[in-house]
Parts: sequence; C-alpha cells; structure tokens
Amino acid sequence: MNKRNIAIAALAAAISTGAMAQTPKPEDQIRLRKAAYDLMSYGFASIDAMNEGKKPYSRDEAVRSAELMVQMSTLPRLFFGEGTDKGETRAKPEIWTHRADFDAKMDKMISEVGKVAAAARSGDPAALRSAADAAGDACKACHDDYRQKRR
Amino acid sequence: MPQPTGRGWDLPTRLFHWALALLVVFSFATGEVGGSWLPWHMRSGYAILTLLLFRLAWGFAGSREARFTSFVRGPRAALDHARALARGNRTLAPGHNPLGGWMVVVLLALAAFQAGTGLFSNDESSHEGPLAAKVSGAVVDRMSALHSWNAWLIAAAVGVHVAAVSVYQWRWRMDVIGPMVSGPSQAAQNALALVLVAACAAAVYWLVVVYPR
Repeated sequence: MNKRNIAIAALAAAISTGAMAQTPKPEDQIRLRKAAYDLMSYGFASIDAMNEGKKPYSRDEAVRSAELMVQMSTLPRLFFGEGTDKGETRAKPEIWTHRADFDAKMDKMISEVGKVAAAARSGDPAALRSAADAAGDACKACHDDYRQKRR
Repeated sequence: MPQPTGRGWDLPTRLFHWALALLVVFSFATGEVGGSWLPWHMRSGYAILTLLLFRLAWGFAGSREARFTSFVRGPRAALDHARALARGNRTLAPGHNPLGGWMVVVLLALAAFQAGTGLFSNDESSHEGPLAAKVSGAVVDRMSALHSWNAWLIAAAVGVHVAAVSVYQWRWRMDVIGPMVSGPSQAAQNALALVLVAACAAAVYWLVVVYPR
C-alpha cells in the first residue's frame, strides 16, 4: 500500500469523523472510496495469509489488520454521491437505482468486518477464519451485483 | 476385465479421465459460489494442474491409445471419420476416434489455460492465486477476467463432449463409454504412471507453495 493511499484514507477518516465542510467532487469521491477499499483489502490480505497458513498466526497482527478494516469499512458509503457513477470506476449504475439493497449490503459488510475484529481479539484462529469467510462473502455479494466485471 | 490384447485405454488414462471430470465439475461449482469455497477451488485447481502435467507425459509414455501420436490426426482423418459416420459405418477402433482426438486436445488445452490463468487470479476481496503477488495488478485483472470467461468455454466444450459421447453411445450404439470404464491394466505401466503423478504433484507443489514463498 503506497503512502498516497494511506494519506487519502487518513483524510477520509478525518472527513467521516469531523464536520464535513463540503461534499468532495465526484472524481475525489471515487478516489476516496477506492482508497478505503484498498486499505480494507490490505488488512484482509494479511488475515487471509494467516488463515491459509502462508504466514504464522499472530493475534497482534490479526487485531491490527482487523482494526484497519473496521476503520475503513464505514468510509466507502460516504463517497457514492451523485455523479460518481462516471469516471475511473467500475461501480454499476444499479447502485443508484437499487440504493436500499446496496446500502443493506454495505451494512452487512460493515457488521461482518466488525465480527472479524472481535474474532481477532478473541485470539482464536478458527474463529478468525470463519469470521473472515463471512466477511469475504459479504464483500462478494456486493461485487456480484454492483461492480462491473473485469475485462 | 483386463483385455489380454492390451488394446483400449489403459487404467491410468481412464482414472485420469474420471478424476479430471469430477474435479472440473467441483472447480466450476466452487468457482461460481466463490468466497469461503475458494481455498477448495484452488486445491482442486492444483490437482487438475497435476493431472494435466501427468496426461502430457502420458501422451508420450503411456500405452498406444494414450499417446498423442495415435489420436491427434489431421483434419482429413476427422473428415473421413465424419463421412463414414454419415454413411452409417459405425465400426469403432480402440482409443480416440479422429474427431474425439480433437475434442481431447481442445479440452486439455482449455483446462490448461484455466489452471494457468487461475494461478495469477484474485477475487478482489479475500483470496488470490499463488502467483498473483508475483505480477502487476493489471496482469492479475486480465488473468482473472480470462479465468472467468474461460470457465464458460470449458462448460460449453464439456457440453459438446457429453452430447457427442451420448450420440455415439445411445443413438449409434457405438460403445465409447465402456472402454473408458474398464480396459487394460498392466502392473508395470501403472507403477510408471504412479511415479509420474508423484513427480507432477511435486512440481505443482513447488510452483504453488515453495516458489511463491
């Protein structure tokens, strides 16, 4: 993960917690939500590597990664505003026509990511694995419906 | 019953066929479901890669009907076979017929392409192939897309294969399924096949576990 994305995500975290001066331009919203997803994926990759035995299990690292995911998980929804269906994005227009379902899937992802953090803190690798599976399924549910396939 | 003449598909070829069939169905299903099934999808892919490497070797080292030189024939032979079928000549020689031989080549090539692209693919959330970290994100995206599309090409090719076999078997009464179930089996040959499978498994283990470390 490069420094730029970390800076963008830090900015995004500040925006979400502090008072928002104004809505970012559509192209900035797209960048911000991608940065949050990228960092979430960065945290997830570390947990996944432990779950698949690619690196040794470490409770501390699992907690750090899961907390990064938790912090990032609430950010993307702030940046699916008007006009952000066009540009450097694979977001499908259905997001804006099926907003309630999209939001429900977003809520589901946020709650599953929260459970990953709880499982990480428990120090139980098996619990971490099943929580990560559920979170992965929640990610996929949204990708399947609302993200353009890669070419 | 093993045939004393030793003609027809040998035991390793028959086992290869049914193992590949099962694994392809399993891989297709787990790939579509995705998520927590992907670790199993990947293991299935490694097993398929092992089988494909073995089949490649067996195409040179196997018994007559398993060898590429015996069944990879030119378009003329395929056409002649089709004409003979059209004329109502329903006699069957042991091994793949000239049309079936091409089906084998196509199925093996598609499966190899699928296993190869899968190594570099990811699911954009929680899982990635063992070599995805070795290449750029753009390559991973392209490989993942090709992997998704090729799954449906394989499904189509399997459909053609099963339909063709069904027509031979039940419409034309040419027994093509029987010889894929029972046939020659020789201890020395089976032992050689086992050694080859072990070597292929070791090569795949190196590729997906040792090398990416």
